Amino acid sequence: MKNSDVISNNAGSDKIDIHYPDFNVLDLMDEWDSHTKEIVRRRLEPLPDREFFTDREAWYMGMIARHMVYDYRDDIIEWVIHHFDRKLGSGIGESQRKQGTPPEAVLVREGLKALDHVSHLSFGKDFGELDEKQQFEILAGLQMGKAPKIPQWSQVPQKDLFDKLVSEIVAAYYSHPAIWSEIGYGGPMYPRTYVRIELGLTEPWEARRTEKNRGAGSDEQ
Amino acid sequence: MNNKGMENTDYIKHHCDHYLGHRYDHMGKRKYGDREVDVCIIGAGAAGSVLAYELSKAGLETVVIEAGPFWNPQSDFASDELAMQNLAWNDTRLVAGNNPLSMGHNNSGRGVGGGPVHFTGVFFRFHESDFRVRTMDGAAWDWPITYRDLEPYYSKIERDIRVSGPRYFPWGAFHGPYPYPEREPISANSQVFRRGCDVLGIRSTVAPLAILSAPFDGRPPCTNRGFCNQGCMPNAKYSGLIHHIPKAIGFGAEILSDSMVTKVLTDRSGDRVTGVEFVHDGKTYKQKAKIVIISAFVVETPRLLLNSATPGHPNGLANSSGMVGKYIMPHTGHDIYGKFDEEIRFYKGTPVLAVSQEFYETDLHRGFIRGYTFNAHGSRPVSMARTLAANAGIWGKQLKEIMLDFNFYARITLVGEVLPYEHNTITLGNEKDEYGLPRPVVTFSYGENENRLIAHGVARANEILEAAGGQPAFVVPDTAHLLGGCRMGDDPADSVVNRFCQTHDIPNLYICDASVFVTSGGCNPTETVMAVAARTADHLIQNAGRGGQKREEVSRGKVTANAR
Ligand SMILES: Cc1cc2nc3c(=O)[nH]c(=O)nc-3n(C[C@H](O)[C@H](O)[C@H](O)COP(=O)(O)OP(=O)(O)OC[C@H]3O[C@@H](n4cnc5c(N)ncnc54)[C@H](O)[C@@H]3O)c2cc1C
Ligand code: SF4
Repeated sequence: MKNSDVISNNAGSDKIDIHYPDFNVLDLMDEWDSHTKEIVRRRLEPLPDREFFTDREAWYMGMIARHMVYDYRDDIIEWVIHHFDRKLGSGIGESQRKQGTPPEAVLVREGLKALDHVSHLSFGKDFGELDEKQQFEILAGLQMGKAPKIPQWSQVPQKDLFDKLVSEIVAAYYSHPAIWSEIGYGGPMYPRTYVRIELGLTEPWEARRTEKNRGAGSDEQ
Repeated sequence: MNNKGMENTDYIKHHCDHYLGHRYDHMGKRKYGDREVDVCIIGAGAAGSVLAYELSKAGLETVVIEAGPFWNPQSDFASDELAMQNLAWNDTRLVAGNNPLSMGHNNSGRGVGGGPVHFTGVFFRFHESDFRVRTMDGAAWDWPITYRDLEPYYSKIERDIRVSGPRYFPWGAFHGPYPYPEREPISANSQVFRRGCDVLGIRSTVAPLAILSAPFDGRPPCTNRGFCNQGCMPNAKYSGLIHHIPKAIGFGAEILSDSMVTKVLTDRSGDRVTGVEFVHDGKTYKQKAKIVIISAFVVETPRLLLNSATPGHPNGLANSSGMVGKYIMPHTGHDIYGKFDEEIRFYKGTPVLAVSQEFYETDLHRGFIRGYTFNAHGSRPVSMARTLAANAGIWGKQLKEIMLDFNFYARITLVGEVLPYEHNTITLGNEKDEYGLPRPVVTFSYGENENRLIAHGVARANEILEAAGGQPAFVVPDTAHLLGGCRMGDDPADSVVNRFCQTHDIPNLYICDASVFVTSGGCNPTETVMAVAARTADHLIQNAGRGGQKREEVSRGKVTANAR
């Protein structure tokens, strides 16, 4: 996948200026250790079957993820959902869970169902049938714990649902090499080393702003 | 814990039994088997590694039992944030309180080496005042030991692992020099921090680090890849995994990894412990020992004591005071971001290369007691974006825009003291884990002193960023580290262990890890964890062969560090 392909179909980010359009972190892949290479390569390969999400749930997750990371590129969103699917299917611990909040698999599954209930209450339709503005309104409500009241929220605390979704989705999204390229992150770095770490210095292989993009980063851009 | 579906499925099979000349992937050839050893240590983390090294070196028969794997840095670690979350203790802990803590990767390690396998390596001594908060500030408690008691052990640890640091360290009782020279060059993120400090007349230094600045013991100096929180692949950063534990094995210690201790066993009278029960691969085993030392960190240590209750110890072992699990303390870990016109690229270099302790000691004009450390603290995309989303509520278009300017941010982390409060606790929940043991509940709420400290620190950090030419951008609330829960003290009525980490209730049961902290200090704590462990080891070695452990006299004089 070339970085430029990716950007051209980045419909959600059309007004967003990218500092490093020419940088592709994958060009450096030969310099990475084999374990890291294998881990990152799997993010670009065709995805195996889902273990946890049903088709409908995956469809919902896709819509939610697009809102949360403000990106519409299907391959990246698919990978984000795949990551979440594997985590929920795996039985890996949750690190922490608020007392009284259900286990994450229940929280997410019941939470996705609750989205339909709350969407019906607000707009008379399933969440999946809403337009983007309406979906956004529901999600923003969840975040504040202020989505319309439905009995389901007593089992699925809305803020916890939102926090779970956003933190897994965002972590996976910013693990995708296309996003690393876009933000100019140098990516994996072993066995290669950094020598030029001081202000204003870059290694020859690091992301460079093009002439047009110089001066970006200030607030007026 | 199974690794099924985890992205980084280990492709080397980890061995679970390790002793000199032997490695097995089963429990059939244990070195001591049914025999009673001198010492059994639970947890091969910061404290457990030091104990294993010192005790085996002194000739004591030592077995270390560690819940997680014996990592192989080359094949297990990777330059990837998401995959390397598996270095953490990911088992679900229930969290409660007004400020429920982030656990897992944020503060808990798992596997040989423990927390330091993915720690940042910032390595401070506590100040003299840290041990005397009650006397000096009229709050919390004094430790039963002083800075002077730990001083030889701080020096010993620094020497043993070749801590690098500035020629002159301006704060506290120790001013350097460190065994290894300070890091040079420092990262852009640390440079702008120091630039801002200079403008404001705030002293700053290059960070003291448990990271090599020159070769040592076959290990290379740091290559500045910046992935300290993902495990150091070149082995430049200290952890027991690559230093103390291999050496302990050389001195005869046995390490049982992937083995979760589920119970500490007592004799019929309940006056002494006899060993431990542990589970490996679904099967239960025993290890008998004359002395048991629990070094399982702030959550699992109290949990194990509570789960080991017997009719004679109905509230849990070593808990006649009711203090087990009480007074836990994180540090504040607020991240203050500033945006610059120039590229900072804070993914490069060791994450923390400059620090300031200018606001460490109490100054009542500030409206709170105690203080904090500033760490110039680099970050990476997942960590930055996830905490922005989860802790600061920034997502969607706003998050996307911020992250596109990833290379233009600098960051300062506020490591602030948190006072001990009785309501901050480790208790047992109703839900069970895969071993059938109740999950721990971690309850935490800040007090008023912390809220004021945070407000002060955030304001100061923003001034530094501004003075350096940046725009204050956002503040992400967070915490770091965890301490307390089995605090030490002279009075058996209100503490769990004495000044040598021996439990007041059971003379041959010791607790030695971050849980014995009485107060948190206002800086990264692991050098103190390790110094306390080295002191405890010295005490055990001096008492070895005296026919078992007697209760310590409180007035007993201090012991001195092993001459080295
Ligand atoms: C991301 C991160 C960054 C950090 N950065 C710094 C820093 O820069 N500077 C600093 O000073 N500190 C830092 N720390 C803190 C440091 O890691 C801890 O202070 C330190 O590890 C505490 O040591 P410990 O011996 O108490 O516990 P740990 O090192 O956590 O060791 C406990 C061990 O016990 C094992 N265990 C637990 N329960 C059981 C059981 N039932 N059976 C068998 N084994 C068990 C665990 O698997 C673990 O290996 C950081 C921590 C994290 C997570
Ligand atoms: S920055 Fe240095 S110490 Fe940290 S992981 Fe990289 S090489 Fe190791």
